[in-house]
Amino acid sequence: MGTINSALSIASQALDADQQALNVVANNVANANTPGYTEEKPNWQENSPLNIDGVTIGQGVTETGATSVRDKVLTARLDQQQQLASASGSRLTALDTLQALFTPDSGSSSSMAGDIGSDITSFFDTFSSLEANPTNNSDRQAVLSAAKTLSGDISNAAASLDSQRSALDQEASGVTSQVNSLTSAIAQLNQQIMTTSPNADAGTLEDQRQNDLSQLSKLIGINQITTENNGLAITTTSGALLVSGNSSYQMTTGTVNGVTDFFVGNTDITSKLATGGGSLGGYLTARDTDIPSVLNSLDQLAYGISTEVNTQNNAGTDLDGVTGTTANPLYIFSQPTAVSGSAASMSVVMTDPNKIAAAGAGEGTGDNSNAMTMASLANKTIVNGQTPSNYYSSFVSTLGSTVSEVQSENTAQTASVTQLQTQNDALSGVNLNDEASTLTTFERSYQAASQVFAILNSIMASALNLGEQTTVS
Amino acid sequence: MQEMGERGGHPKLKELVVEASQALARLDADRLEELALSCQALNRDLAQGDPARRDGDARASLPIECKQAQGDMAVFARVLEATRANLNVMNRLRELRAGRLEYRAGHMAYGESQIQQWRRMESGHGNN
Repeated sequence: MGTINSALSIASQALDADQQALNVVANNVANANTPGYTEEKPNWQENSPLNIDGVTIGQGVTETGATSVRDKVLTARLDQQQQLASASGSRLTALDTLQALFTPDSGSSSSMAGDIGSDITSFFDTFSSLEANPTNNSDRQAVLSAAKTLSGDISNAAASLDSQRSALDQEASGVTSQVNSLTSAIAQLNQQIMTTSPNADAGTLEDQRQNDLSQLSKLIGINQITTENNGLAITTTSGALLVSGNSSYQMTTGTVNGVTDFFVGNTDITSKLATGGGSLGGYLTARDTDIPSVLNSLDQLAYGISTEVNTQNNAGTDLDGVTGTTANPLYIFSQPTAVSGSAASMSVVMTDPNKIAAAGAGEGTGDNSNAMTMASLANKTIVNGQTPSNYYSSFVSTLGSTVSEVQSENTAQTASVTQLQTQNDALSGVNLNDEASTLTTFERSYQAASQVFAILNSIMASALNLGEQTTVS
Repeated sequence: MQEMGERGGHPKLKELVVEASQALARLDADRLEELALSCQALNRDLAQGDPARRDGDARASLPIECKQAQGDMAVFARVLEATRANLNVMNRLRELRAGRLEYRAGHMAYGESQIQQWRRMESGHGNN
């Protein structure tokens, strides 16, 4: 009887355990489309056999709960790559808008900056026309008209850059509240996990925390540190503490030099956030590095053209026989006092075309020597050691290279995220044999891609006669 | 390769490079192996003087195609580098889990001896 009772008991327990396991499976199925859900596997524990008078009677199995199938190394890597991809993505969006500003109008598209490259050429060409007819009023009007177009396009570009900077500032500022709500949620989840599951995987609670971490990784660069009792500390990549156990530390904002800066406690972490990753990193890099760099180039251009043209016009004689003086200068453009701000303030101050000093100093009003000198400024290195046109072309080309570089970065980082996400999805809930199979696919892909790259690199090096091949092993 | 635009019997290099980057992002090993074979064939044809590229236009187009594909090639190089880094992580992860497996193997060995012991005891019980 004892044996029959034992057998029934074992069968009963096995049925209970199976029922629990079915519940786990049902939960997996129900959550198949839940974002961030990690498949759970039932844990089986053999009941200790009874030993009565030297006879051992098995006691069956008990289902002792479920364990989520998660790989923290992989999810941490995924979060890290997500931070980089988000940063380059948001920076790329900003750079695309910047580049569009300096792309000449075509078809239905219209640029606020018009076509500064053509404006520069047209402006200096009007002096060449004036050379031929130094007293001709329409040629003089054409000089002022071209000057207005050039200064208008440059100052519009500067104003647009300022608007873009403000827009990025607002977007960056808006990230703060999202970061704070996520860090608060993670701190609360930490509390629950540390209380309810200090020594084992906390299942859906850990799923929720991981989901929040993924969201946070899209916003800012973070480091994750596992603490005791399944807790998690989170810092920015520069080390500012955001979450520790059940406490979260809010990120705050303040206006510094006209833009939003970010603080944790009293520490300004803005510059560190810019290099840290996440969309906030991208916004801040565009706001604090890319746009100021473009604006500085535009300032250099405006400063160089304005000061050199003004100086040369002031050195000549106008149609009324007047030569410019310090007290009464013959300026075409507003005279900048410093490089910074030159583009925004660039304008034409001359209203009377007769004030254009086509004649050389001491020459008659019919002379054209100063008009020739002013036309020749187009080919002189008056902007940072370059001619105005070359300087502008170079700056637009540099901007294009930056956009291209960030585009490449973003494509690669997004591909990396896709790969890791694929692997994470494939690994969640597979056995070790399946895992080996997915890893084999990864290795096969890498090897085949390496082969494709090596062959194409070789073909391209030969065809382009590059001499030195790029090596990626 | 059929769906790619072709010139002179070969897919355009730019399309081939873009396709390779995309396939690598998806970890589409089968597609990448197809592309590797295509690249080998392309290289062989070029080395041997493929009839499809014998005419002047087709030959002249190769450096142009290469220049057009340079930017995408840079992207491909970056994706390859990212893949290598990811593969390193995956291998470390595998080693980590394999370590756990070894621990379990040891644990199972202990369990195995215990099972043998139970079998002997139950066998004795049956004999009684």
